[in-house]
Amino acid sequence: MGTKITLGQYLPGNTVIHKLDPRTKIILMIAFIVVIFLVKRIPVFLIPALYIVGTLLLAKIPVRYMASSLKPIRWLLLIMFVLNLFLTDGDTVLLQFWIVRITKESLRQAVFITLRLLLLVAGTSLLTLTTSPIELTDGLERLMSPLSVLKFPAHEIAMMMTIALRFIPTLMEEVDRIQKAQMSRGIDFSSGGLISRLKNMIPILVPLFVSSFRRADELAVAMESRCYHGSEGRTRLHQLKMQRNDYLAFAAMALIAAATVIFSRILGGAI
Amino acid sequence: MSIVFEKVSHCYLAESSLAFKALSSVSLTIEEGSFTGIIGHTGSGKSTFLQHLNGLLLPTEGTVTVDGLDTRNKAQCRQVRSRVGIVFQYPEYQLFEESVIRDVMFGPKNMGLSEEECRSRAVTALEQVGLDPEHFSELSPFDLSGGEKRRVALAGVLAMKPKYLALDEPMAGLDPRGRKEIMALLERFRKDLGCTVIMVSHSMDDIARCADRVIVLDRGSAVMQGTPREIFSREEELKDLSLSVPQAVTLSHMLIRKGLSLPSDLITADELASALLREVK
Repeated sequence: MGTKITLGQYLPGNTVIHKLDPRTKIILMIAFIVVIFLVKRIPVFLIPALYIVGTLLLAKIPVRYMASSLKPIRWLLLIMFVLNLFLTDGDTVLLQFWIVRITKESLRQAVFITLRLLLLVAGTSLLTLTTSPIELTDGLERLMSPLSVLKFPAHEIAMMMTIALRFIPTLMEEVDRIQKAQMSRGIDFSSGGLISRLKNMIPILVPLFVSSFRRADELAVAMESRCYHGSEGRTRLHQLKMQRNDYLAFAAMALIAAATVIFSRILGGAI
Repeated sequence: MSIVFEKVSHCYLAESSLAFKALSSVSLTIEEGSFTGIIGHTGSGKSTFLQHLNGLLLPTEGTVTVDGLDTRNKAQCRQVRSRVGIVFQYPEYQLFEESVIRDVMFGPKNMGLSEEECRSRAVTALEQVGLDPEHFSELSPFDLSGGEKRRVALAGVLAMKPKYLALDEPMAGLDPRGRKEIMALLERFRKDLGCTVIMVSHSMDDIARCADRVIVLDRGSAVMQGTPREIFSREEELKDLSLSVPQAVTLSHMLIRKGLSLPSDLITADELASALLREVK
């Protein structure tokens, strides 16, 4: 259960991309989203697509791995495609029967939106593919730290995220244990209607919540007894430092953004 | 009637590169009415073994039959679940109802029994584990002490009136008094209700005192089977499996080496005490 979710799951490595500063990768991901929305013509999607493939090659992640990890969103893409195909208005009719009307414009719109979504998901998953959760929260904390002037709890939020990520496998194990205990008491999870299946969740959820609160309590005590008192005066083991490669990456992204804008202009007009 | 394991192997994640064989070709029989102790080092497959008893895990090879019912058959597996009650480690974490009585009634209800039948079974089960139903029935299970919670969880399994009761470390994390109480309970179930007990434990002393059969697991295989007296006489072999012998065995061997003439097959503290008394006289 749940072991097959590979979309954006961290793949450890020792490549240029893995070694980039997590802050760089977070900023690049945001920039990538902006670039995707700067694309105004279908052919221009080639630029972000090449960026994704290039990054995968540099990070030594098989392109096929990325493709198979995108499988879970195929239904979402299909729905987006169909909705846009049928619900967009246009003049040049390609196909018409019953209440269905497909026009050249609606076909374009459908392809455009689907490609945008696909690249968006693929591009953003690059971040989590090449950055460990710890690095990620570390980077976020540093990025948010200027906001602490405004009393924004950057460190606390990062710590919360780290703890949440840390406890996902633990809770999965716990669910398995409780599920088996309740199955031994005769509960049948695999049959019955929707209502009875939902009802069957209660004997799992209640013990799960109870034990989560207990764990939270124990963790808080353990942290306090090791003198944890928030971000104030806290030093870190791994100091984040921007390097030459980080600046190179920013420059590359700037070029990609510029190219996207220029090509969209050249091809001109509406999609 | 009995529980029979025939060449049972179990492999986790069988088809992936992470395949891990937790049980390999285990063949054994657990006779009705016996008290079987399961011992083994961490990771020896004890929990996997236990989960095969009522079909929570199915063998990847071989068969498990309970009174002739095959756990791999879905319809028969339901019957197996009501015959074999499993009490997992720290069972108090499975409590979820708003009152003790409702929690104990959960198992019988899943068996499709009537409300009155469930209630009367729950009351009996609470009495069996030594909790006064009058006092405890309407309390929230979350307001009880650790030892009381564990007994409620035990009552929840007992209310299903299982023929076979399997327990994973039922005494873990309890104080000496709690341990003694649970031990006494188990012995009572076996004597009064004719329940077959299967207990996984790290405490050789508890096994020596209660069990009449011991199965030693090591890396997924049943490497030794026999009476506690037979098993604990093979001290060297147990040591090779990073297991120990009951304290009484160690002590009596030391005394024998010092020149006392004691029988060499003493395994419980009581036996040792009476043998010493005889020797002193």
